[in-house]
Amino acid sequence: MTQYQVSAVEKKFIGHHILVAILALAVGSLFGPLQAFEHAGWDFYTYLKPLIKSYYQGLTVHGVLNALVWTTFFIMGFLTFNVIFGLKRPLKNLTLNRVGFWLMVVGVVTAAIPILANQATVLFTFYPPLKANWAFYAGLTLVVVGSWVEGWGLFLTYRDWRKENPNERTPFVAFGSLVTLLLWQICTLGIAVEILTMLLPWSLGLIDNVDPQLARTYFWFTGHPLVYFWLLPAYISWYAMLPKQAGDGKMFSDSLARLSFWLFLVLSTPIGIHHQYVDPGVPPAWKFLHSVFTFGVFFPSMMTAFTVIASLEHAGRKQGGSGMFAWIGKLKWNDPAVASQLLAGILFFFGGIGGLANASYNVNLVLHNTAFIPGHFHLTVATAVTLSFIGISYWLVPYLTGRKLWQPKWAVAQAWIWFVGMIIFSNSMHVLGLLGAPRRVPLGLAPYVPAEWNSRLFQVGLGGAILFLSGAIYLVVMYKTATNKERVETEVEVPIAQPMQDPANGPVWLDRWAPWIYGALALIVLMYGPVLFEMIKNIALTSPGFRVW
Amino acid sequence: MAKKNKGDDEFHPTGTIAILAIFVITLIAIWTTIYMILVGRGGTL
Repeated sequence: MTQYQVSAVEKKFIGHHILVAILALAVGSLFGPLQAFEHAGWDFYTYLKPLIKSYYQGLTVHGVLNALVWTTFFIMGFLTFNVIFGLKRPLKNLTLNRVGFWLMVVGVVTAAIPILANQATVLFTFYPPLKANWAFYAGLTLVVVGSWVEGWGLFLTYRDWRKENPNERTPFVAFGSLVTLLLWQICTLGIAVEILTMLLPWSLGLIDNVDPQLARTYFWFTGHPLVYFWLLPAYISWYAMLPKQAGDGKMFSDSLARLSFWLFLVLSTPIGIHHQYVDPGVPPAWKFLHSVFTFGVFFPSMMTAFTVIASLEHAGRKQGGSGMFAWIGKLKWNDPAVASQLLAGILFFFGGIGGLANASYNVNLVLHNTAFIPGHFHLTVATAVTLSFIGISYWLVPYLTGRKLWQPKWAVAQAWIWFVGMIIFSNSMHVLGLLGAPRRVPLGLAPYVPAEWNSRLFQVGLGGAILFLSGAIYLVVMYKTATNKERVETEVEVPIAQPMQDPANGPVWLDRWAPWIYGALALIVLMYGPVLFEMIKNIALTSPGFRVW
Repeated sequence: MAKKNKGDDEFHPTGTIAILAIFVITLIAIWTTIYMILVGRGGTL
């Protein structure tokens, strides 16, 4: 086997990203089950005082570490690997990428201090007028800026490759990674403006009050495409790696894959107002328009579902599978990287359905701010994304460290336990939401819980306990792998599924950046320009900060 | 680049179409269920 050799220095650099990501997951995941247990009436927060002072402080730690830190570090590490390996060239400027990485690390520590000191119990959405210590906002800013800097390093690497290969199609894993990074650079402008022009000066005492409506609009400018920043790296793996791992399958359509990534870039940012259907300050016409475009994202999503499943079907039939569905059983379910990602994909079906319900201007009224929402995003970010990243780490960590995966059967069991735990947890959260249970509420203390919620609240706790077990097994497997004395005989093969058609025969416009970037920016200006112009023109810096914890 | 072989030409993802059909039916059923809850609570049609 001959494959491109990523240098030892670069492997170590990528490994540092994965290490920070897993540490964040470890700490953040301690608090997830505590939320679930509280719902079931088992309040462990009482025993954590004075270290952790409230349910909401735990929820903040859980949300920030799991939804923001674990994902961002894993993604930056994985995408760095994809660009290097896909383009078959070293980083243009490793120092620049290192600066980005350390900015992110300093940012995490800076934000963590006020969170742990109970000075930033504002949850991971940090909506004003809840007011955190300035260090929380400064830390988040550094994380975002660091990720930008890392992205610039990868773009420079690509520029050099393009100069040397003017007529080549960008290899898909590098292409998908660069589109994801570009999406991130564009969409984080919202949160950057929110923090730098409002929240940071406010927390430093430079301005007295904020405009919560404008801040929420800035936040969701970033907040919705953030979902695609999480998902697209998983999609890269599902499209271009999983079919190979699952049974030596090929990618069904390279062109469809590229088109879907471009559509995600264009469509995922200018739709954030669908998170603000019940916000009084946003005109209904804009809510409706954003709703329509949100449904536009359904098309690249379905293209992804079709291409990925067809590629897996190709793998299953290559392994001797037949019939309408029997090929599914022929996929390599005993490989933990495969089992994790297949199970993540199965639950994502239901996450997608829930997402469409959330995005519907009318039925959203049933779901808004209910337990349905965390039920939904535990299927998306906590399963489609997280369980996929876990699956990727089952081959990536042995590849980076040269050490054998410790007890692959335990790793397979971990994926199944997560799957079962998440079904119990998430299903009960969805049902509770439909019954009217609010989100972000310590329901174990609520005096208004009707009897029909009780069995579901117990299931939330049960699901949380099972997920905790799964998370613990994952951490043990990763620790034992990283310290495993048994080394791989030869370098782990990077799973790359070749496309069925030569990408060189695909449309050239699928490898041209300018039209898609201009299209994305134009649509953002059209969909957000008038709304933001009106909000900024009529800015109402009227709300003081509140500390309710 | 992988060579295109005869098997790839003859590959028709029928199972994929069936799975996506089940997905769409499930999607419609769940969305309609939530919609009926909305209507049942007095939401306007």
